[in-house]
This record gives sequence, structure tokens and C-alpha cells, in this order.
Amino acid sequence: MRLTPLTALVCLILAALPVAAQDDKPVLQVTGLNSDAPARLTIADLRALPATTFSTSTVVTDATHRFTGVLLRDLLGHLNIKGKMVTATALNDYVIDIPMSDFESFDVIIAYSMDGRALERADKGPLWIVYPRDAHKKLQDIRYDYRWVWQLSEIKVR
Amino acid sequence: MRRLCGSRIRLILPVIAILIFAVLLGFALIRMFKVEADIKVDAEQNMLWVMHQSESATRRLVETTLRAELGEADAEEIALRLDLLRSRFALLQDGPQRRFITEIGLHQRLSELHATLQEIQPLPKAFTAADVRQLRQTLTPFAAFFVRAANMTMVREWDNLGGRLETSRDQLRQIIVSLIGIMVTGTVLTVTLFLSLRLSRQRNAMLHRERDFSSLLVASSGEGILAVDDARRCTIWNPAMSNMMGQTAEQTIGRELSEIAGFFDVAQVRQAITAALGGKINSLALQPYFRDAHAPPLHVDLRVSPMRNDEQVVGAIIFIHDASDRHMARQKDAEIRGRLEHLVAERTRELDDALTRERSAADLYRNFAGMISHQFRTPLAVADSALQRLIRRGPRADANETAERAAVARNAIAGLTRLVESTLDAVRLQAGQASAKRIACNLMQVLEVLGTQLRATSPDIRIDVHHAEAVDAVALCDPAHAEQVLENLLSNALKFADLDTNVSARVHHDDKHVHCDISNAGPTIDDADRDRLFEPNFRGRNSVGTQGTGIGLFIARSLARMQGGEIRLLSDDARTTFRMTLPRFGDTKG
Repeated sequence: MRLTPLTALVCLILAALPVAAQDDKPVLQVTGLNSDAPARLTIADLRALPATTFSTSTVVTDATHRFTGVLLRDLLGHLNIKGKMVTATALNDYVIDIPMSDFESFDVIIAYSMDGRALERADKGPLWIVYPRDAHKKLQDIRYDYRWVWQLSEIKVR
Repeated sequence: MRRLCGSRIRLILPVIAILIFAVLLGFALIRMFKVEADIKVDAEQNMLWVMHQSESATRRLVETTLRAELGEADAEEIALRLDLLRSRFALLQDGPQRRFITEIGLHQRLSELHATLQEIQPLPKAFTAADVRQLRQTLTPFAAFFVRAANMTMVREWDNLGGRLETSRDQLRQIIVSLIGIMVTGTVLTVTLFLSLRLSRQRNAMLHRERDFSSLLVASSGEGILAVDDARRCTIWNPAMSNMMGQTAEQTIGRELSEIAGFFDVAQVRQAITAALGGKINSLALQPYFRDAHAPPLHVDLRVSPMRNDEQVVGAIIFIHDASDRHMARQKDAEIRGRLEHLVAERTRELDDALTRERSAADLYRNFAGMISHQFRTPLAVADSALQRLIRRGPRADANETAERAAVARNAIAGLTRLVESTLDAVRLQAGQASAKRIACNLMQVLEVLGTQLRATSPDIRIDVHHAEAVDAVALCDPAHAEQVLENLLSNALKFADLDTNVSARVHHDDKHVHCDISNAGPTIDDADRDRLFEPNFRGRNSVGTQGTGIGLFIARSLARMQGGEIRLLSDDARTTFRMTLPRFGDTKG
């Protein structure tokens, strides 16, 4: 596709619109084992928590990227939620079970930005579970690759 | 030859087996690494799932538009589904997904659809049915594209998988063949090892037997055997060594040789051991070994040989044989030979003496007439002079004077008689029997008698007779001959002496001889005359103008030699000295 300066500008405006709209809307629903009401978090809520940044390669992109987000163990700790297994669900209904031990063993984050730019819903945003794949040989395995849930929308802890 | 071939095969076979083993092992390892790398499955090989999700996102969007037409879905839900489809395109346009799409040849079509998707505007909140229908129509080619893409993906992935499985199977097959090879070579090696072990055990046993036999030989040898390592420490010491040196094997093994006995530190022995350690065999004969300071030494023969291990000298072995008996026999031989030689020399000397005496006697006999004329002159003159005086005195002479002068004449005549008898006896008796006449004779007395006789003929002569203190003047000789010799020498001395000087006679002795030196102060004898002085009828240059026959010194020497003696002219510039030497009587007694 040929991008003229005008169409590029239009694209940028269009891309920025939903992000601005999403900031005040809850993007992640977290359900604990024995909590009645699920926690609904906005991007702002997540950005308010301590951020972790690291660079890693992914299996669906070339080169490495810098991801910034919240450590999953910090988030669950913050919400005071405990359990053995986490079921992560994406906007497209992709469902994956992740053992809680992953979050203890590795610095797994819920990333909200890649290379300094906010993740978008039209790409892999707004939230993406990212493993520090390059830091651990063990994580370079397809059994870990499928736990990288993008367009994450819900977490259930059992 | 067969044995050599066998051992070579025994060596070559394991080497080949090990080589094959290593090659096969390396090959199998390489193959296994390859298989291990191939087995790794990347998520990029999960394209079928990507295509399925993409198709699913498309169909969900279409479904949402249908529901929107029925009023069951709002604009926000449509926007969500649209974003999800857009995210799928973002994924397909990125990294490995894009490469795969290119590989199956759909990238052109994908780009076209992506452009179409980008042009779609989000629906306003109050959208119409026509807007939704328009959107659905725009999306019509998307689902068909993903169905086709999924189809192609499946075919490509199965092709790839089939190819990879085939490659892996080939590699596994090669690994299996290699492992079988490894097993075979391992078996060969095991068998070789087993055979080598058995052989080694057999050889060990043989070696043990041989060593035991050697030990037995060393232990039972009558010869002393010891061995040293290259640091000269004792390693073998057999019982014969213990007997010889008085030290047991326990005391000596492990110690340095120089500590064991000083004998091994003697330069020759040490050099022999050094040479052996340098690879040379050598031997020493009859080395004295002092076992005890007070006892006579043993005499031993040594043979020192190097001990080698694979051409390298690791020590020396020393064989020591007690050769004292041989040494003693050799010494006894030497003693006997010495005694014989001494005896022969003695006999030779005696025979030489006898020969000299015989020759002198023979010379004298040949010159008997000359001697008579020479020797008789003086006694005849003495007798004549005594008788003349007696006649001149006539009746005036009293009885005493007559008796005295007659006695002088008779003495002279008696001397002549003795000389004749002795000379005839000596000449008659010849060699070997000449000594029969030799008796003890005091030369001092002879000199005194002569002095008296000479003064009787010429009263003004002066003769000083001296002798060394405690001199033994007794010679073994014929007194008549000794008297003649001294009379000759004294007459000569007086004849050639300067006026108013004394003639001296001095008697002294050494171990075997008595010497009588007669000397005067007078004209010296020319060097040229000295050698010929004792020849018969020779007269020196300085005797010109004096009376003489030139036979006196010849007779004197002949007579002296007949006694086993000698006459010599001593060299002295101031005085002329003739020395008569005769055997000591005391020496023969002893």
C-alpha cells in the first residue's frame, strides 16, 4: 500500500482516537478464587502500579522489543489474590491456563507498551502477557510460547 | 617370523578398531546433533492456527454485522471485531508470518486486502442498515482468502513436516548403523583386551619364573654378586657377598656403595662402576680388600657390567671373585724367581771373580820372567848391600853386627823365596783353587814390615802410615802377594815423589773391602796415560829419566786381582793416589 502524507495523518488520528477513549474504560477483569465481585482495571490503574521494563524477542515478530508493564505477581499481590492456576482470556476468546508458578519463577508482565508506544487493540493490545523469553533458555519452548496471550481481557484465578 | 606377524596383527587390529570406533562415534554424534536441532519446533510453524484465527476473526465480524442489522449488536461491538481483524492483519504483516505468506505466494493478495481493511471507516453510533450491509459486502473476499490460505498452509506445512521426518528418519538410520558398527568394534576391542590380558598374565608368570630362577642363581653363586642402581645404591647383595664382606643384605640394600665399604670408594673401583653406568663392561684383577685392619687383605677380581632396560643403562652388576689363593701363588712364584735370580747373580759374580783371578794368574805366568826381573831387583839389592858391608867391615865387625847384617840379607832372600813359591803355587793352582791360599792378613803389619825393609836400603825415605779410627785392616788374601803389591806401589810413590815430601799410606775399610791408599806429591799423570797405565811394558811420559821396566803396576794389578781385589788410580789434582782394594776377612766370615 502506498502511504501519502495525508492518509498517514488520517491513520494516526484514527489510531489515537480509540486509545484516548479506552483509557477511562476498564480493559482487564480479574476474578479471584473467593472474591464475589471481579476487579475491573483500567490502563490508568495498571500504569499506577510499579512498572517493569525489559527487552526480548517474540515468536511472532522479528528483532527484539522493549516491553513495559506490570509484573503479574505484583498485580495479583496488589489485588490480594492467591491460587494455583490462572486462566487468561483474550478479546477473541482465546483461552489459556497458566500455572501461577510461572509468575514466581519468571518476571512475567502484563505489558501495556512496546518500544515506548502504547499497545493498541488493532495490533496486540491493549494488554499482552509477555515472558522474558531471552533471559531464560527454558522459556524458548512452544509450551511457553502459547501462554503469550495478547489482547488480554480477563484473568481468572483458581 | 610367524610370531612377529602375530604380534603385529595383535597390535594393528585394536588400533584399527579404535579408529573405526572413534569415526563412527563422531559421525553418530554429528547426526544426533542434527536430529536434535531438527526436532525443535518453532511457533512460526504454527501458521495453520494463524490462518484459522484470522478466518475466525473475519467470520465473527461478518456475524456481528448481521446481528447489527437485526439490532442485536451496537457500533462499539462492530469496532471491537474490526480491531480484532485489523490485529490479525498486523500479525500477518509481521516477521515470520509475512515470510510464510510470501513463501506460499499470497503476499500480493494479502496487501490488497490489508489496503481495503485500512480504508474501512468505523461506523457512527447511529449507523443505518445500509452502512452495515456496505461493510459486510466489503468483507466478502476476506473469508474466502483465509480459507484458501489455510488450505495452502496445511499443504505446505505437511510437505515440510514430511520432508523433515524423512530427513530425521535417514539420520536415525545412519545413527543406528553407526551404533551397530560401534558395537562390533567394541566387541573386537573387548576380545583383544581379553586376549592381551591373558597373554600378559602368561608373560608375567614366565617373568616371575625367570626372576625366581635368577634369584636362585644369584643366591647360590659362590661368586659375590651385587647390583647397584644409577645412583650407586645397592639393589642386590647375595650370600657370597655377605660372607666376603661380613655385611648382610638387610644391612646393605638401599645404601650407597661408598657407605657400605671403603673398598668401593677406591679410585679404580669407583671408575670401573662409573664406566659400567656409562655402558662399558670392564674388569679389575687382584684388588686388595682390607676387611680387617689387622688381617692381611683379600685379593679379589671384579667384573663390572652395565644393566640395561630398553637400551637405557639403569644400573650396574658387579661380580666379585675371591682370588686370594691365586694372588698368594703368584707371590710365591715371584719370591722363588727372585731367589733364583739372586743365586744366579751370586754364582755369576763368583765365576766372574774366578775368571778374573785365572786371567791374572795366566797373565802373570806369561810375564813370569818380567816379574822375576822386576820383583827380584830390590830384595837382591838389599841382600847384596848387607853382604858388601859385611865384607868391608871384615874382621872389624863384631859378632852382633855380623848376625844383624846376615839377618837382613836372609830376610830379603826369604822374601824372594816366598814370592816365588806363592806365584808358582797360584799359577799352578789356576782358577777356582786360587782362593785355597787366601788367609787372614793384617795390612797394617804388612806396611810396617815393608817400611822397615825400604828404610834398610835407603835410610832417608819418609813414609807416613795412618789408618782410620777402629779400622779393620784384616784382608782375605795371600800375604806374600799383598806385600808385593804394596811394595810396588810404595816404590813407585817414592820414585816419583817431590824432594822433601812424604809418601803416605792410609788404611780404611767399608762393608766388604779393605782399602789401602798410597799417595805422593809429585808430577801428575797425563789423562792420556791413565787408561794405559796398567798395561805391561808401558811407561808414562813423566817416567822418562827414571829407572824402570814398566811392568810394576801390571804385576801389582794382576796380583791384586788374583786375590779378588783391584788397583785403581784415584783422580786428584794435588796428589797422585793409587788404591789397593782387597776383600775383608770379616765379610767372608759373616
